[in-house]
Amino acid sequence: MSTKSINAKATGGRSWLQDWRLYVMLILPLAFYAIFCYKPMVGVIVGFEKFNMFKGMWASPWIGIKNFKDTMSMPDFRPALVNTLWLNLMGLIAGFPVPIILAIMLNEMRSIKTKKLCQTLLYLPHFLSWIIIGGMVLQIFSPSSGIINATLLKWRWIGKSIPFLTDGPHWQFTYTLVGVWQGMGWGTILYLSAITGINMELFEAAKIDGANKLQQIWHVTLPGIRSTIVVLLILSVGQMMNISFDRPQILGNPQVLDYCDVLSTFVYRTGITNSQFARATAIGLFQSVVGLILITGANFVSKKLGEEGIW
Amino acid sequence: MKKALAILLTLALLLGTTGTVLADDDWITLRVETYDREITGLDVTNCWQLHYAQENFGDPNHIKLEFVSFARWTEGDLLTNALAGGTAPDICLTYNGGLVQQCIDDEGIWQLDDLLNEYGPNLKAFLGDELLGYGQSDHDGDGVKEQWYIPARRISRANVGNFIREDWLKALNMEKPTDIESFTEYLRAAKEAQLAGENTMPFSFGIYAPDPLYNVRRFTDAWVDFSQVTEEDWFAYARNPEMLPGAKEGFRWLNTLYHEGLLPETFALSDNDKANDTALIMGYNGFFSQQPDQPWRTDKNYQVELAKNVEGGHWVTVNPFKNDSLGGKTLHDMYAPAGLSIIIPLTTDEKTAIAAIKYMDWMAIQDNMFMMQNGLEGINYEGLTADGIPYGVKSADAVPDENKMHAGDICFISNGLCYGDDAKNAAALALPFAGYEDDVVASYADSLTDAWTQISFTVSIQAETDFGANVKSRQGKFLADVVSCDPAEFDAVYDAGIQDILNSGAAQMIEGFREAYQAGNYRGVFPGNL
Repeated sequence: MSTKSINAKATGGRSWLQDWRLYVMLILPLAFYAIFCYKPMVGVIVGFEKFNMFKGMWASPWIGIKNFKDTMSMPDFRPALVNTLWLNLMGLIAGFPVPIILAIMLNEMRSIKTKKLCQTLLYLPHFLSWIIIGGMVLQIFSPSSGIINATLLKWRWIGKSIPFLTDGPHWQFTYTLVGVWQGMGWGTILYLSAITGINMELFEAAKIDGANKLQQIWHVTLPGIRSTIVVLLILSVGQMMNISFDRPQILGNPQVLDYCDVLSTFVYRTGITNSQFARATAIGLFQSVVGLILITGANFVSKKLGEEGIW
Repeated sequence: MKKALAILLTLALLLGTTGTVLADDDWITLRVETYDREITGLDVTNCWQLHYAQENFGDPNHIKLEFVSFARWTEGDLLTNALAGGTAPDICLTYNGGLVQQCIDDEGIWQLDDLLNEYGPNLKAFLGDELLGYGQSDHDGDGVKEQWYIPARRISRANVGNFIREDWLKALNMEKPTDIESFTEYLRAAKEAQLAGENTMPFSFGIYAPDPLYNVRRFTDAWVDFSQVTEEDWFAYARNPEMLPGAKEGFRWLNTLYHEGLLPETFALSDNDKANDTALIMGYNGFFSQQPDQPWRTDKNYQVELAKNVEGGHWVTVNPFKNDSLGGKTLHDMYAPAGLSIIIPLTTDEKTAIAAIKYMDWMAIQDNMFMMQNGLEGINYEGLTADGIPYGVKSADAVPDENKMHAGDICFISNGLCYGDDAKNAAALALPFAGYEDDVVASYADSLTDAWTQISFTVSIQAETDFGANVKSRQGKFLADVVSCDPAEFDAVYDAGIQDILNSGAAQMIEGFREAYQAGNYRGVFPGNL
């Protein structure tokens, strides 16, 4: 930051000439966003059309918000919306603090080797595909034959198997738990780097003032990564309306349909499998608009509370 | 001098292989969609069948054939993208009926009547008028049906295969069950005797999520009271067999089996088909229901693997699902005679569209079809029976790469091997399964007993487009609920489930189907008329 401002002062308005290499390097990411994020946005007009795939999105007839009305009046829409928000909220409550706690614990480890080993083991689930995790979940949580139920039944701790996968609320618990397990290691990366950025002198000063480990964590580490926590929280709130397709689709089953059907699986079913692209687009646009409202709101609240916000 | 001659010869050779295409401007390229099943060593864009067709059809007609590879299991999505992007092949194949209907509604494909009449006499003869009718509908509303797609001819229409363990019957000293009571007794006795130890699970059962009741109605239809079902009702409830009068008792039967531990507790979990496969080949099950040739198919090898794991393990066909209201008929649903749908997109010019029809017409000639489906004697099969049917058909890995082929996908106008007449075709079904011919023949015979043709509609039903997928997902929940619920609450759970399905759009669908029936826009068979 400081070097940049010095440069700017020294060369005045011609700084871009001096830094042209940096600007050239910027072209790639800018092109990426232009091509893959902004250009496809034009496609949202399909959501307002009676889309004819042979005429394309420019020549299909315009029908206003009929697609939105039709899709949102479907009996499955409301439960899917509620489930999406509910599962995301549970995931946020249960899953958001875990990486922070883990990052602090990892940071306090004395042996670098053990720390690296733990990190690798924690990252691992992030790289497993949900298909594989789905198979593991069945092995572990299945009624009667799953490891947990089979063991508890054998020890006679329970008389009837626990319906982890076959009863709605139980399923939502399992879904959240598996999600936290899968994502917690990966989530520590940003926090760990934020912790590394804290000035070591602060820890030393705290130590000299007689702070023990817990007090150091509470008064130095946590305030040091507060802005990172806030930014990630705002981003998570912005994602409340979005839910991945593979996780609910793979972990879900017909018996808990009322609890596992979410917007992504609903869109896949009513939009993609029936070739109703206009409706799928309409729901996608709806999700994005709500996401935008949520993220703006969270940012606003965070600024009002005196935090930095993301813009 | 010698050198000049050599150059001249090389040039002539080059011209002979590629030059003709470049030199003559009356050559056209015909791009044909070809399914790719990722069979090791088979490059569908450069396979024996392509070269054979090029030599015998393409070259004489100045048509350069090009096979365009489409992954078999995502063909619908891929073709949709290709059609929307204007890059679709000249001949497109799909099993996705909804996509075809959309192409008709969006007016993106060739209307084929004139082309077929002028360039497709052999093709028309091979398919026949009844079958061609499946590809016709009145799109412009003038009261005359137009030909929009070409339905492939399905050689074997049998769909249902019910199998029981002959070795278990022997162990229990029981006769093969002939009705539901004796069948249920068999399941109970097998469980009681623990024929596969503590893993014994007499009835192999799972939910087929994309269409949960498709494979269940083959059981529950036995309970339907046909004295209360009109032909109109039958078609109106085309996608809702659970609502037919009497079907409820069929679901109650499944509920009873579940609570007696005769079918797996995990039947509703999504990944269960792999577990089901394992149970079948390990010999844990005493009954399963799939396709009529499923035990012998080489992809899963149920019979061969079972015999390895259990001495004397033997799957045989069984036919116990008698319907009393139809005088004991054992209903089996049967495929419509139409197989996959063939369309020609409007992005193809007229000259190429003519070439496309000519290519299919060439394929429809029996001798050409034989070569395209069977390949070469001594390479793809050992020899011919007296009837002219190949025997000793080699599996793909026993054939050299350059001769590997896929009969059905590339000779696409025929779903199944065709040898000219029905008797030969039926005999040919059992030939690939050496050692089990009698079992296969018996299974097909059961499957075609009291068989009714599946229902389809010749117009798109808006309610089905809107709600079809949702209704199916509710049916999945319904099935899971009624099978696993407390027997004392069965009636309440069943009624609530039916209401739930009706609310999810089934009510509108039933209305739509009823209207289509009244307007005569339907195909299929009412079992009451069998």
